[in-house]
Amino acid sequence: MKSRKADFIIWTALAVILGLIVSFSFLPLLNVNPVEALQTMLVETFSDTYTMGNILVKTAPLILTGLAFAFTYKANLYNIGVQGQFYVGCICAVAVSLGLAGALPGTLVILLAMLAAMLGGGLTGLLIGFLKARFNASEFLVSMMSTYVITYVMQLLLRTVLQESKREYLKTDYIDSSVWLPKFLSGTSASIGIFIAVGAAILVWLILYKTALGYRIRVTGQNMDAARMAGINPFVQCMIAFAISGAIAGLAGFIEINGMQHMLLTDFDTDIGSYGIGIAILANANPIGIIFAALLFGVLTVGGTALGHSTDAPASTIDLMQGFVMLFVLMSFFFRKKIELNRMKKQTVGAAEGKEAA
Amino acid sequence: MTTVVNLLTRAFFMSTPLILGALGEVIAERTGMMVTAVEGIFLIGAWGGFIGAYLSGSCLVGFLLAALCGLLVAMLYGLTTVYMQQHQIVMGTAIAILVTGFCTFFYRVIFGVQTTPLKIETLKVIEIPLLSKIPIIGSVLFSQNLITYLTYILAFVSWYVIFKTSLGLTLRSCGENAEAADAAGIPVTTVRFLAVAVAGCLGGIAGAYYPICIVGMYKSEIIGGSGWIAFGICFLGNWSPLGALVFGIIFGISEALGVYVKALGLSGVPSELFSALPYLLVIILTVARRQFRVPAQLGTNYVKEE
Repeated sequence: MKSRKADFIIWTALAVILGLIVSFSFLPLLNVNPVEALQTMLVETFSDTYTMGNILVKTAPLILTGLAFAFTYKANLYNIGVQGQFYVGCICAVAVSLGLAGALPGTLVILLAMLAAMLGGGLTGLLIGFLKARFNASEFLVSMMSTYVITYVMQLLLRTVLQESKREYLKTDYIDSSVWLPKFLSGTSASIGIFIAVGAAILVWLILYKTALGYRIRVTGQNMDAARMAGINPFVQCMIAFAISGAIAGLAGFIEINGMQHMLLTDFDTDIGSYGIGIAILANANPIGIIFAALLFGVLTVGGTALGHSTDAPASTIDLMQGFVMLFVLMSFFFRKKIELNRMKKQTVGAAEGKEAA
Repeated sequence: MTTVVNLLTRAFFMSTPLILGALGEVIAERTGMMVTAVEGIFLIGAWGGFIGAYLSGSCLVGFLLAALCGLLVAMLYGLTTVYMQQHQIVMGTAIAILVTGFCTFFYRVIFGVQTTPLKIETLKVIEIPLLSKIPIIGSVLFSQNLITYLTYILAFVSWYVIFKTSLGLTLRSCGENAEAADAAGIPVTTVRFLAVAVAGCLGGIAGAYYPICIVGMYKSEIIGGSGWIAFGICFLGNWSPLGALVFGIIFGISEALGVYVKALGLSGVPSELFSALPYLLVIILTVARRQFRVPAQLGTNYVKEE
């Protein structure tokens, strides 16, 4: 068991490095020296506290969207609509923050915004889970489409009731600084959002592996018939899993709004949902592993942005890096399994031979 | 009356890439493979199609390059899912991210930074002699571009192949019971890989339809979920090419209606809701349809016992 965990870490690390090498090897096409680019990226990323704070800022919501996907994944369900539930969270958080700031104490408004975001995302998730459980509608298709619908609803809201007072762009006013999440590092924009996200990861781990609820969800995911025999209602588990997943995605929206952006605009973090899926896969859907996988994506995003500022490398290099990293990590799963099987075969053959010799 | 005719003409015009993509998806899903890389395949098709058409000045070269690009991405998807047994939904997401980065990056490599978007001439309408003179039907059905005609013919051909030929039986047996198919001597993994490759070619051409036939230029958001709608149409059409045809037309109408209402600029009716209509339609229809005939082993990878 121990060696399998070590294998997993070594193979994943190798795959990540290979992914980076391949994506950097394209840079000479744009007359960017890949070695210099890597140097600039590392130096710029880790040289000052501001960019290092930025890594935490980028990591926090990614942990949460990764968790959101992983939670349904454990129940063998596919919540591809994390992006949409994230947007619902954003809308709820910004609406509460704009509406109640000043009327109530700041801390209370922050708590209410957080609750509203989780409730909004959770209800969206619950609806998808309900459609799956009640009508057997493919949750994959429904959740995927819900993101597009929600994106247009968000555009509509940003054009009408939520639009800034200047009525110029499709965005909201800035929320009052009294309802911003407190920062914990001076000289950076890192808010306590990262602690909320890490806390959520630990909580999800506890729920999944240490509670009866988590057990029921995992059993349903592994074998639905066995679950039914044991008196577990898979439909209820489906709805619960989707509601919790949606609530986590909504929480990510709250952290982005109150912790970082302090307003909502169109085309906001359009990739956060699919990155979440990538992160969950990178970590094999383990909540604690997700923290580190999200950190890796955070470093790549900040590093890629720094790269774009100081060289000619475009922002799309980030997508290229993340895409190749995911591709190679998934391929490494295959090779690792193969090696493991070979090892097991050798062991059984060895044991059999040992018996014969004796 | 002319409004209705225009609307329907536009609907058939808009439905073409959706039907084409859905047909590829039907062929692959009948063998048990969900091509969840469809959005990425559409995007690389749009990218390759634009580049081919722009650099050569010929739409045909554009479509060929698009088919090739789609094929390569589908082969990558097939390699990792069919032969390396990775999870189909997960792999599709990874490929979508990779393709997004790849297309933007190499568009920059090829064309540099452009201040105004590059344009190409869109594919011309071919009016079929005599038939196009029939009132209403003539302009709706017989005044379209070449790809639209081919797509509609392909829908009937692939229906015939899937349900009336032994090749179709081979395809379907891989999706219904891979173990039995394997026992009967059908090379399940090869069939699945080839079906995914075909879906990739069709998806690539479908993607290229957007720059070459509809907008005449390329931008990275050009596909914006159309691949997923084609994926949904395959579900809603009950994994039948003719079902895909029917639902493709329904979605074509809803898209044409959205464009029309936006152009009218009706006050009181938010245009965003019409933009959201096709996506909402997929959800409603998925929930409303009860009798789905899902290929029994859809989405499960086949691992041969050794």
